[in-house]
Amino acid sequence: MKWLRSYPKRFFWTIYGLGLGISLVLDLWLIYSKKLHYHFQFQYFPEFFALFGFLGCMLLILIAKGMGLFIVKDEDYYEKKLRR
Amino acid sequence: MEWIHPGILILLGGLLIPHLRWKRVRLTYFLLLPIAGLTILWFTSSGTFGPIPPWPQALLKWRVRLMGYELLIVKIDKLSMIFAFIYVIAAFCMNLYALRVKNNWEHVAAMVYVGSSIGAIFAGDFFTLFFFLEMMSWCPVFLIWFRGTRKSMGAAIRYALWHHFSGACILAGIVMHVHRTGSLEMVHLPWGWGGDYLGYNLMLLGFIINSATTPFHSWLSDSYSEATPSGSIYMTAYTTKTAIYCLIRTFSGVPLLMWMGAIQAVFALFLAVLENDGRRLCSYHIISQIGYMVAGVGIGTEMAINGAISHALCHIIYNALLYMGAGCVLVVVGTAKFNELGGLYKYMPISFWLYMIGGFSISGFPLFNGFISKVMTIEAAERIHHIPVYFLLEGATVGTFLHTGLKLPWNMWLKGMDEPTPSIRAKLKDSPFNTPISMLLGMGILAFLCIFMGVYPTILYERLPYPVEFVPFTLTRVFSHMQLFLFTFLGFWVLRKMVLGHPTYTLDTDWFARIAGHWILWFCEKPLMAFASYMDQKVMEIVHFFVWMSRNPALALRIKREEVTLKMKSLFVNPSHLKERELQLVEKKKNYPGELPKLGLGGSLFLILLALSLYLILYLISLE
Repeated sequence: MKWLRSYPKRFFWTIYGLGLGISLVLDLWLIYSKKLHYHFQFQYFPEFFALFGFLGCMLLILIAKGMGLFIVKDEDYYEKKLRR
Repeated sequence: MEWIHPGILILLGGLLIPHLRWKRVRLTYFLLLPIAGLTILWFTSSGTFGPIPPWPQALLKWRVRLMGYELLIVKIDKLSMIFAFIYVIAAFCMNLYALRVKNNWEHVAAMVYVGSSIGAIFAGDFFTLFFFLEMMSWCPVFLIWFRGTRKSMGAAIRYALWHHFSGACILAGIVMHVHRTGSLEMVHLPWGWGGDYLGYNLMLLGFIINSATTPFHSWLSDSYSEATPSGSIYMTAYTTKTAIYCLIRTFSGVPLLMWMGAIQAVFALFLAVLENDGRRLCSYHIISQIGYMVAGVGIGTEMAINGAISHALCHIIYNALLYMGAGCVLVVVGTAKFNELGGLYKYMPISFWLYMIGGFSISGFPLFNGFISKVMTIEAAERIHHIPVYFLLEGATVGTFLHTGLKLPWNMWLKGMDEPTPSIRAKLKDSPFNTPISMLLGMGILAFLCIFMGVYPTILYERLPYPVEFVPFTLTRVFSHMQLFLFTFLGFWVLRKMVLGHPTYTLDTDWFARIAGHWILWFCEKPLMAFASYMDQKVMEIVHFFVWMSRNPALALRIKREEVTLKMKSLFVNPSHLKERELQLVEKKKNYPGELPKLGLGGSLFLILLALSLYLILYLISLE
């Protein structure tokens, strides 16, 4: 059962890297050849979804960490706070 | 042939489970209950009991007259049919997952829960709906209680409080609606601001709380993460989706809902970033996904409603799968906290991959069932050219993949690649098969459904109430989503150190309710109780005085008079002069009540006459 417990790390990174590169090039080509049909103009901006995914992910984590300064407490916060 | 109500069948059938003696019979019966329900639904949809007319007409069954009102206990149309189908199919998989649970009463609570939610789906009038909703609100309380920890006790009570509040709101709304229209039938309701719409707003508030819409979402993450591992699976599916169903029936097209849903879809994700508990993280994803449905209901076009319905149904399947994955880890190693976990891949690879199918589905990967329903709602937002709502919903897609597709599996299975911590390692066998087989089977069926519906969406689309002319797999949509996910992964990998778990607790909107509740209890216990005991003491003093006086009123009055005179005199006279009289008074008090004065016959008669004449005067006054 060794195959079940091993994970193809290098294979994954190769595929992933290729996927990133291809998607970047493909996006430009698809927009150039007018094969994409979006609803809004800004979606035709080159690499819009790549930027949206990357920046959205970063912003989400960073803003949440900022919020965390105020709302993250100890695990027994309510037990301590609400003890009478 | 007479029709049987599948919900009531499952509900009453579930009550029998603990009375079956042999384990095999009991478990087979437990599995057969949803299958029986599915069979009835199958016959119903194929027209054995009469054809189901096209939307929006309905096949009516079971009219009952009660106290001058006509109740439609069952009213079947395309909308309720598709919900009921997914409910029983999901119930079967959940039962399979819960087979290894030893507590039979947990099975009973689960089956009553499933049965009453099907009853609510089929209800044709508000009273029946309310009855089943109330029944539904009790079952999860038991599913949480059966966990048996101190935290689960509190969580169950908070759950009950939230749901009884929402139940009271719904009931008030129903009463006002019936008072206004005289009809109980479940119809689409008007909505607006102002006093005329108070009842409808209350009803809307009730459904919003039940569906865990922001800012009333916190009960969900609070209670689902404290329930038993298998009990929480049932809870993920039924309460919130039934509330979404009610919203579709009664309040579709309310613009307020569109905004609430879109904001909620993103807001829950911020809290999920900070979460340390795997099941709480999945809870925030339920809340976020409900945002899509609520937004769809709020947009209210045919396409948006179809999108909301299909998303609710797909969500039941993939979210149960996600919860099962996190539940597996909880069952096997006893914790779902990220800071304690990691490196489980070598020990539980099958549950990892089944979980990942759920993760891909919820993120909306093409060929998984989240995609076919999610893009429908997003497309509906695009078609009404609503840019903010579009941005919020598409942004939520990014966050969903970030958490369920990356953060949770990274923290539970992959982080620290090869070995879990020693204390976790001690609980695992050295084989890839640590997860019980019945759990994997339940997950397997759900994973199959995720992929099957994703590859062949027609099976869902042709059963939706409105006709669907929507094709999910276009080059534009598939390409843009794939690019979105590829770069989300890049963002995650750059910041992966920031999403590691820390043993913390994240406050939620229930902070206000809990702190306010704390102060109300403090007010009742401290100032209010002090005031009450003070009043109590004073009243008892007066009572004691009257009892004392009644022993010998004449002497008592004399003593009191003496006391008052002494007090007055002590203001003017040197107190040493009064010493003797004070001593006499003490003596008198000591001897009290002393010898009672003897009344002659005449005196007694006089007193009786006096009393009677007083009574007469009072009587005459009261006659006026």
